[in-house]
Amino acid sequence: MVESSNNPRDKKLRATGYMLKPLWVTLRTMVRVSLPGHRPRTIMYPWEKSIIPDCFRGRPGIILDKCIACQKCVKVCPTTCIKMVQIEHETLGKVKRPEVNVGRCMMCGNCAEVCPTNAMIVTPEFELASYTRDDLIYDPIKLQHPWKAGYEINYEEQLPSNMKGPAAKKGSMELKDTVCLEAKKCISCSRCEKTCPTGAVKMTDTGEVNEKTKKPIKRPVFDDTKCVSCEMCVDVCPKDCLTMKEAQ
Amino acid sequence: MTEMWVNMGPQHPMTHGLWSLRVKINGEIITDAEPMIGYLHRGWEKMMENRDYHQIVPLADRLCYASSLSWSHLYCKTVEDLLELEVPERAQWIRTLTLEIQRIASHLMWLAAIGTDLGSYTMFLLPMREREMFLDLMTDLSGSRMTTNYPRIGGVRNDLPPNWERDTLRVLNLFEKRLREFEALFDECSAFLMRTKGVGKLSGPEAINLGMTGPFMRGCNVDFDLRRDDPYEKYSEVDFRVCTHPDCDSYARYRVRIDEMYESCNIIRQCFQKMKQGPVRVKSPKAVPAGRAFAHVEDPRGEGLMYLISDGSDKPYRLKVRSPIFVIVSGMPAALIGEKVADIPAIMGMADMCLGETDR
Ligand code: SF4
Ligand code: SF4
Ligand code: SF4
Repeated sequence: MVESSNNPRDKKLRATGYMLKPLWVTLRTMVRVSLPGHRPRTIMYPWEKSIIPDCFRGRPGIILDKCIACQKCVKVCPTTCIKMVQIEHETLGKVKRPEVNVGRCMMCGNCAEVCPTNAMIVTPEFELASYTRDDLIYDPIKLQHPWKAGYEINYEEQLPSNMKGPAAKKGSMELKDTVCLEAKKCISCSRCEKTCPTGAVKMTDTGEVNEKTKKPIKRPVFDDTKCVSCEMCVDVCPKDCLTMKEAQ
Repeated sequence: MTEMWVNMGPQHPMTHGLWSLRVKINGEIITDAEPMIGYLHRGWEKMMENRDYHQIVPLADRLCYASSLSWSHLYCKTVEDLLELEVPERAQWIRTLTLEIQRIASHLMWLAAIGTDLGSYTMFLLPMREREMFLDLMTDLSGSRMTTNYPRIGGVRNDLPPNWERDTLRVLNLFEKRLREFEALFDECSAFLMRTKGVGKLSGPEAINLGMTGPFMRGCNVDFDLRRDDPYEKYSEVDFRVCTHPDCDSYARYRVRIDEMYESCNIIRQCFQKMKQGPVRVKSPKAVPAGRAFAHVEDPRGEGLMYLISDGSDKPYRLKVRSPIFVIVSGMPAALIGEKVADIPAIMGMADMCLGETDR
């Protein structure tokens, strides 16, 4: 069986009079919060807003002219609430930009974290209630939000092979995953060149000539400084000859 | 002499979350009990099989709303074990101290809940007020109050913001004062003592047999804590006491959690003293090599465990979660049988139910 405690506190006689101490704590708290200079803990919410830090993760926002339509945010979203849609913009023309279903978004901030140009930001906007579900699908125009320092997510990372060295900033050359071409499989369709959002792929002549069609053979050449590791070329390749080589 | 089954839940003030307790009563005495869960089942483990490794981190947060960070940390730790990735020193310290902040916030949530369970609204309001300070710290650190998405595979999301250390130490100093106030509010209150002392007796060997872990088991006078007995992160380098209590009743479980909050404050202070500048995040590969790994940590509620099977692709083949509350609540009939119906909230409340991780 269970033996009883030998803690001296427990041996103390606790008559009903001991109720007075909790009552004293409660009364003291009541007086304390009503004194001038001691604000109550609650706020009059709709009229008075709580102060939130700039890093607060509300709904995602976008800066349209920074976005390069690389679709990294689409791929990383755990709830798949981002979709690329075509918009007409007065300065940008016809472009694809992300549309976010805020009703499904769980405000994780992953999209802003992977965005290579910091076009996707986390805004401190959290009052998102609306009457219909359609209102919650924010098209790129509605998704825009004025930028302020602290809204974008930057981080510093270390490579496992370089644990002691200085940390590299997000998007720097060391951290980049690069594209590798398996040249034997390539059929020179130049789809990767057309898809690349940054123009990092250039089809270049190899100097060889195809024996059947008598046309010069072209192979893609990747410019790693421009590449943002979005894997769109890998996805579009019909012959699976592209792979990502991860920075180690 | 008739016995009958009574449903407590799924909509009952005693059930935190959606679950139901069927009790068989003979007059006022409980003769049998059967917890029923499944109202909140989301298929979490299956869902993880079509998410890639980096997407799972924010979803692991959703396992438990009251201590999200410990679950995303557990997930990251499991993947790191399989990758054999070395986490930078500073990231380990930051993880240790954020886990302790999360533990305090979670225990305060429990303290508030036990207040309403036992019918005292003041006992609800005061811990909730203190919990807000810790949630504010988490907001400053990670940008979110509860679902922090803070640990990353290979470190943590960002370094500590400026002045965060100062703020945390101030909060701790204030909190320790408030914790003494809580002790006056709970321990000196004869109504609270009458309701918790001597109910829900469960001896240590019984608790071990039922597979119970965490503060509930330590409240059954079993001296076991994964933070000390299988140290992870930096727990081996900090001094702390594993809190147990010999009474083995509901009051003992309450005492264990209060003592743990004092110990958590100590751990956080030690972390700040021993922490050095350095990197906080290592780049982790997308795909994880084929293999199996498991990690277990001392969640605020007990032993949380994740078992990961990888087939070498960028998505897990299987991710199994062992939730502490699932085991504790399954063993609860042992503590309930023989007690009175009115004592059920005082006994069940000490389990600190969180249905998010129980049902998954
Ligand atoms: S990741 Fe950034 S740049 Fe790429 S599509 Fe999304 S918002 Fe645009
Ligand atoms: S914040 Fe998270 S859930 Fe929301 S759109 Fe971005 S990645 Fe998706
Ligand atoms: S080269 Fe490929 S991975 Fe790099 S930016 Fe262009 S499409 Fe994306």
